[in-house]
Amino acid sequence: MPTDARHYARSRVRSYAAAGFALAVGATLLSGCSSSEGPPTLTWYINPDAGGQANIAETCSEESGGAYTIETSLLPNDAAAQREQLARRLAAGDDTMDIMSLDPPFVPEFAEPGYLAPVPDDVAERTTQDVVEGALAGARWKDKLVAVPFWANTQILWYRKSVAEAAGLDMTQPVTWDQIIEAAAAQDKFIGVQGARAESMTVWVNALIESAGGTIVENPDAPADEIKLGIDSEAGTQAAEIVSTIGKEGLGGPGLPTQTENTSMIQFQGDQGSFMVNYPFVWPATNEAVTAGTLPAELIDDIGWTLYPQVNEGEDTAPPLGGIDLGVGSNSKYPDLAYQAIECIVSPENQAQYFTSNGNPPASAAAYDAPGVSDTFPMAETIRESLELSKPRPQTPYYNEVSTGIQQTWTPPSAVDPATTPATSAEFILAVLKGEKLL
Amino acid sequence: MKGSATKRRVTWTIISILVILYALFPVASILATSFKLPSDLTSGTFLPTTWSFSNYEQILVGDAQGLFLSSLRNSIGISLIATFIAVILATLCAYAIARLDFPGKKLILTTALGVSIFPVISIVTPLFNLWRNIGLYDTWPGLIIPYLSLTLPISIWTLSAFFRQIPWELEQAAQVDGATTWQAFRKAIVPLAAPGVFTTAIIAFFIAWNDFVYGISLTSTDAARPVPAALAFFTGASQFEEPTGAISAAAIIVTIPVVVLVLAFQRQIVSGLTQGAVKG
Amino acid sequence: MSTSVEAPRGTTPAPAPAKPRLSDRARSERRLGLWLAFPAFIIMLAVTAYPILLALWESLFKYRLTAPADREFIGLGNYAVILTDSLFWRDLGVTLLITVITVVVELVLGFILALVMNSALKAVRGWLRTAILVPYGIITVVSAFAWFYAFDIDSGYINHWFDWVPGINPDLNWFADGPTALFVIMASEIWKTTPFISLLLLAGLAQVPGELTEAAEVDGATWWQRMARVILPNMKAAIMVAVLFRALDAFRIFDNVYIMTNGAYGTEVLSLLAYRTSITRLEIGMGSAVSVLLFLCVIIICFIAIKLFKVDLTGARGGN
Repeated sequence: MPTDARHYARSRVRSYAAAGFALAVGATLLSGCSSSEGPPTLTWYINPDAGGQANIAETCSEESGGAYTIETSLLPNDAAAQREQLARRLAAGDDTMDIMSLDPPFVPEFAEPGYLAPVPDDVAERTTQDVVEGALAGARWKDKLVAVPFWANTQILWYRKSVAEAAGLDMTQPVTWDQIIEAAAAQDKFIGVQGARAESMTVWVNALIESAGGTIVENPDAPADEIKLGIDSEAGTQAAEIVSTIGKEGLGGPGLPTQTENTSMIQFQGDQGSFMVNYPFVWPATNEAVTAGTLPAELIDDIGWTLYPQVNEGEDTAPPLGGIDLGVGSNSKYPDLAYQAIECIVSPENQAQYFTSNGNPPASAAAYDAPGVSDTFPMAETIRESLELSKPRPQTPYYNEVSTGIQQTWTPPSAVDPATTPATSAEFILAVLKGEKLL
Repeated sequence: MKGSATKRRVTWTIISILVILYALFPVASILATSFKLPSDLTSGTFLPTTWSFSNYEQILVGDAQGLFLSSLRNSIGISLIATFIAVILATLCAYAIARLDFPGKKLILTTALGVSIFPVISIVTPLFNLWRNIGLYDTWPGLIIPYLSLTLPISIWTLSAFFRQIPWELEQAAQVDGATTWQAFRKAIVPLAAPGVFTTAIIAFFIAWNDFVYGISLTSTDAARPVPAALAFFTGASQFEEPTGAISAAAIIVTIPVVVLVLAFQRQIVSGLTQGAVKG
Repeated sequence: MSTSVEAPRGTTPAPAPAKPRLSDRARSERRLGLWLAFPAFIIMLAVTAYPILLALWESLFKYRLTAPADREFIGLGNYAVILTDSLFWRDLGVTLLITVITVVVELVLGFILALVMNSALKAVRGWLRTAILVPYGIITVVSAFAWFYAFDIDSGYINHWFDWVPGINPDLNWFADGPTALFVIMASEIWKTTPFISLLLLAGLAQVPGELTEAAEVDGATWWQRMARVILPNMKAAIMVAVLFRALDAFRIFDNVYIMTNGAYGTEVLSLLAYRTSITRLEIGMGSAVSVLLFLCVIIICFIAIKLFKVDLTGARGGN
């Protein structure tokens, strides 16, 4: 392969240049080249977790029978920072980007300039057979699968049974945002939402707009200056009404403008907890705190769960979709082996095991039926259902601009005005995309 | 202002306690946080309700061990090498400035000054592009070289000030005895200059140790990532839980060398800082 | 290694023909001087001058790292966008605000600390210096986390300790609002850097001739009069240098803001804007332009200080 040879030559030149520099400053340069003995080493860039991905890497290395060894390399904790690190390495033509754990919204940005090696058709077929719909949508770019769904996250509505009961809400039926706002306000309780100026704000706004039947980016495939936004719409206004009401009436609690997934959980566990939209990690975290004795045991029995609230009564909710897809860098030296490894990683058994040990829900529907899953996560069925309904955030190469634009115009929630915020937000993002404004 | 000796002592004790409180309180605060259990973090109290070493276990022998220990190794190695190179180069340069007659002295001092006020963030982007192209991105030299831009200027200034105070007659005496300029420098002056060089090294080390911007911008794996940058990589029990405890514990561990150096060498550091800074 | 003296001189900058004939001794001294100073000089230039020139060049392009094919020359277009954007001016304002407030507070606080250290009893002097050097040596990021956790509405205790102060209560979210967030950011910055300024001032204080203060005391001047008429005027150079250095340092503030708010709610500073544009958004062209503007601001501050206030940095910093 001529490209490989050229690439190899280029990296040789680079390492000479590097060595020269190293000598010049009298430092030792750690050699980047691995020895040729032994099976090829695949590097897997993982997002931080409780050690589950490292375990899977070990298992799959063993199962490969010496075909490859997977080594993990850690990415930052924050999703935006993960993208930053990966984008910089990919743009630098790094050939160690064998397997990458990718947050779905950033898949298009990497797929568009050809940073991702194409998914072989047979791998695509085998790994997506029973993947839940939302997760599949998040791994596609221009109607083609460009990454393999590994696990899928979604927010569900957690509630305190005592509060719902006092409000007379029938939680077996879908509930709306208006209902929970009313119930919390009447009982002087706080609603758990993520109002911090961070990615979680986009997650919330996107779920609200999608639930109201709108969409943030109408033509995600378009180049930057032709993108059309659906924020300034009926759905956008409805979303702004919900954010604004919770912010202005203090229903999110005093911490709302800096509220993250973690802090909203802490608030929910406290005396003023009522309803909360959040990811499944809440369950193991709460159980652990109860075991440690810092939270009362009765709390567990008071916690219930159901699907993400609806915006309009009777219209399907569109819960947020998160999770991780696995991509292969186009400069990887072993793309075939990497996809072989990915097939091993995403096996339903591994996904189920990952779910019970690390709390990250599988993308494969079959994994939910695995033994042990419903014991650890009694809400597994709700999660699967939520994933089927979930909608990804805008799948555009300019996701970072769109998301940061939303974060800046929709926070703090108390400053959101249904009459103006959607329009200013859309205007601002378009100006940024056209390069007319700073972000 | 005049009073009995006891009154003076009491006043000074109070003042000292105030100053020490001022200086150490934030350290004590994060130290207390580092002993808190995750569920104890929101208690709203200064001290933990139960003291726990679990945060230290997490970063030293637990999940975050690889992340923390490798970044600690990087931080120590990179800072030491950057300090070492900066001090060697600065010693030569400062000796020349303080002692030898050659053109361009003023230019060098002005350049050093200019570099020390340079906004780091302004060069991080071009440096990042350059490093990508020549393969220095995410390597030790890729951090050592920019660290020199932080440590060299202050080292040159501090050492120039030190060297001006050295009794150079000794060097002349050595030269009279037949030594070359270089030999005179090595045999007569180096022993006298050593304390100043050492002090400069400590100050330069603090500066390299403190860096954050280069650390987060020019690294991406544990091959070169220093501790301040690694703090952003800690995670709680799951992706969404905040790693407050682990960060606090790591913060305390990276503060230990600072405290040790300060305890051992406060006199030298103070004289180094003040001599390099204001000397009429 | 006396060989280094005989090294070829072609590689060194040609010495200016100052005096027509130099003695051998003087010539070899000059060569040695250049050789000794050269490496440090070149490294300093290479790591700053080259990148800033590169930034200057790249700031003329519309260039996004993830879309290398779309790179396009747009002249001063990026600068036009930045300078007409209110965000840039707001960030500049915040940066200046932080600079002015922190420097003033540090100057006062640092002066008090310097006086304390200057007149402290021998027995406590060492302790005071040790204590004061801890903030100086501590990593800024660590300081930022310490202050952040103390004030944070969830993990903090400040709200509980100071709830008797009007305006502070357990529900006060320090980081939800620009002014309160900036307060904590500045507190951390001040705590960390006051020791440096107080040491500079201590050195200045030591240079005030003792005879002058004694004479004033004999003349019956009060403590305040001695301070205002004798000590402060004699410390003018030290104060100016301290202010300029701290001002330039404070103007480049990044770590504290990045850790505590990441620029949310009106706390963004210029360094963070440059970082977010070029590193986070990967807009190399626009980000380089912000960097160049930041650099220009620093030069302007320096220029004003040197021309207007006649701060002689080279003289005060140890040059002759």
